[in-house]
Amino acid sequence: MSQIQTVLAQTQEWRPAPLAEHLCAPTTRAAMAVQQEALQGARDYLRGQGCAELLSPLIGPVTDPGGRGAKALDVDFYGHRYRMMTSAILYKQASLRGFERLFYIAPNVRVEPVETAGTGRHLVEFHQIDVELAGATRENAMEVAQGLLKHVVAHVWETVPDVLTGLGRDRMVFADLLDGPFDQLSHGDVVGSLIDLGHPQSPDAEIDWEGEELLSHKAHRPFFVTGYPKGSRGFYDREDRDDPGTLCNFDLIAHGGFGELVSGSERESDYATIVTRMRESGENPAKYRWYLDTARDGIPASAGFGMGVERLVRFLTGLDALWQVSAYPKLPGVATP
Amino acid sequence: MTVHNGHGGSGGHGGARAAGFPEGQVRARARHGTREVFPPADAYGREMFGAAAVVDDLDQARLVPPVFMPQRLEKLIDLGREPGHDDVDLATVIGGFASPVPVFLSAFGSTRLGSTELGVAASVQAGRLGIPMVIGENVVPVHGYRAAGSPVLTRIDAYLSTVADGVGGVVVQQSIEDADSEVWNLVYSSPASAPLLESGRLAFELKIGQGAKPGLGGMTVLDPAESTRLAGRFAIHDVFGDDHTLRCATPGTFTEEIVRQQVRFMRNNFPRARIWVKLHPGRDVAEAAVTAWQAGADAVTVDGAEGGTGWAPLALLDHVGLPLAECLRRIGRPEGCLLVTGRMWEGGRVVRGLALGATAAGLGRAALLAVSEDPESGLERLVDSLALETRLLISALGKYRPDTLTADDLWWPGAAHGAVGERVGSVL
Repeated sequence: MSQIQTVLAQTQEWRPAPLAEHLCAPTTRAAMAVQQEALQGARDYLRGQGCAELLSPLIGPVTDPGGRGAKALDVDFYGHRYRMMTSAILYKQASLRGFERLFYIAPNVRVEPVETAGTGRHLVEFHQIDVELAGATRENAMEVAQGLLKHVVAHVWETVPDVLTGLGRDRMVFADLLDGPFDQLSHGDVVGSLIDLGHPQSPDAEIDWEGEELLSHKAHRPFFVTGYPKGSRGFYDREDRDDPGTLCNFDLIAHGGFGELVSGSERESDYATIVTRMRESGENPAKYRWYLDTARDGIPASAGFGMGVERLVRFLTGLDALWQVSAYPKLPGVATP
Repeated sequence: MTVHNGHGGSGGHGGARAAGFPEGQVRARARHGTREVFPPADAYGREMFGAAAVVDDLDQARLVPPVFMPQRLEKLIDLGREPGHDDVDLATVIGGFASPVPVFLSAFGSTRLGSTELGVAASVQAGRLGIPMVIGENVVPVHGYRAAGSPVLTRIDAYLSTVADGVGGVVVQQSIEDADSEVWNLVYSSPASAPLLESGRLAFELKIGQGAKPGLGGMTVLDPAESTRLAGRFAIHDVFGDDHTLRCATPGTFTEEIVRQQVRFMRNNFPRARIWVKLHPGRDVAEAAVTAWQAGADAVTVDGAEGGTGWAPLALLDHVGLPLAECLRRIGRPEGCLLVTGRMWEGGRVVRGLALGATAAGLGRAALLAVSEDPESGLERLVDSLALETRLLISALGKYRPDTLTADDLWWPGAAHGAVGERVGSVL
């Protein structure tokens, strides 16, 4: 049996029931009740922060090139090769020209590697609360991300406490989250901690899933990891001019083993630097023409982030797998409606 | 096989003469224009190129066995009998892949010769030999990936059909145009390559350049139908004055930081694949190799100016790039796994390359010739011959493993002893 078959066999028991059955499962209904309140809370908070809600594009000539082996789906657009949005980051940056603070509740499609089917944390179709703030620093964006998460947690416990307790969730799990500011660790700190824990982690790379989960289990409230190395993230995350090789970015990791909820960064807005960074990530700048033309014309400096909706709802509900909090789950490598 | 004289016919000579001047070439250009910058278009797809005119001082060096052989004594003690050439163990780890001989199959690129039947025949035999195999750039944007008969998948299938467990591996290149097609992503997630990935035998090679045309991208000659099909993906140039066109891939832009970050990006995105980097024989080849190794490359291949199967302008074939020996001299003792390509076909040149720091040598043109001679077993016989010669030469040097060879095993005529000889220079 190949490794892929093994992964798929292992996920068999973790897979959703047939769609018709999954849609009327009590956990699905409970998760949707939490999801709609989470989205309501997010919209309330972000509108309160002066952000305009836009609806994101679904396809385009290019999309976020992504990483970790996730692929974009191709679409034949009147003879042109278009891609489904893996994230609308390029459009968020361009939109700052007309909207200084904006957000999407954006649908994304990423054809994740099959081996992620069993992580409980990957879906091919998912959504992000995608925020971008002109003139903001990383610290500003982290503050908004922290405020957003706290507000959403408070809102769901206020509006659907019975649903949460019905799913076995304990309000006390969120006490530390609501009580104080989130801790902040540098990528270097995390690499050191993981190595101390006996977990091999490259200092030049993304924190791997196992490492992230390990740290997530040890924490009592969400925490930020800042300053990922260049080469681990996209060309649009700005490099720290005072610390070359390090990006002005962050992840927000949920406690309790739920892992990454948010990825964000200050963005690169300088045309020449964007082109150079594209080459550093192996991209052909020619295919990003519309975006580069816009950047050459001027994109405001900004910072922003994306918060995974399904990951947020899984964290709120405490459910085991991401597919349990999606009405129409698509697991990597599993052909479902 | 390079054509040095004008190939377009002489036409009327109009009375003028220029003794001692390349009159024929001047007249050919005057009559036929830019097509004379290249080898004949009708030879494309049938002939292989690569510099014939570069005299590489690697071939000038002689292998010089010592009289006193302490390593032979070690082997004698180990075996309890006098060692022979059969006792030379050629097993080598090449860029993370176990190989029974210090040889791998080089990329053939997207040219017609290497992408079709000969490429498949070479893959089958490379698999049987258990040597690593590199699949060249631009194959996917030119020939497609999912299409029936896609060269990448066909060659991977062919290789997997014969390779034994625990040896060999497949290396897939990606160029600028390949990046648009996301070749590595396609291969990494393809069920066809899953057996390679699961056994740790898949690598991706960042192609920075090639020996036949350092500083330029891949070039092929297209017929009218191919021109139309590929027009959106490559620059197409009318240089032949007929309905054939020249397809130029871009070479890509690299700086030290771009190389470092691209290697890291590959490691981050494809953690289960090995990472190889292929360099052209640039004057800063040593710095580039160190940058790649320090960023985590499992192997760095240096393609000497003698290398290449692909189409290239005559001026590039004959005048551009460092010979392999000079590249090796500049690199010195390699920090990581160093692979060499360019005019490799027999044991003498391979052993000289190993003595100058290489871990293994790649067969390009030689492999294509061998499979065209006999698609069933030509490459296997060629590699068997090379392996025997290599064993004979290494044992003659009183050594029994390729990685024990050193520059002391070479002598350069006319040069200070121990140093790599001065460049002989290209001869037209």
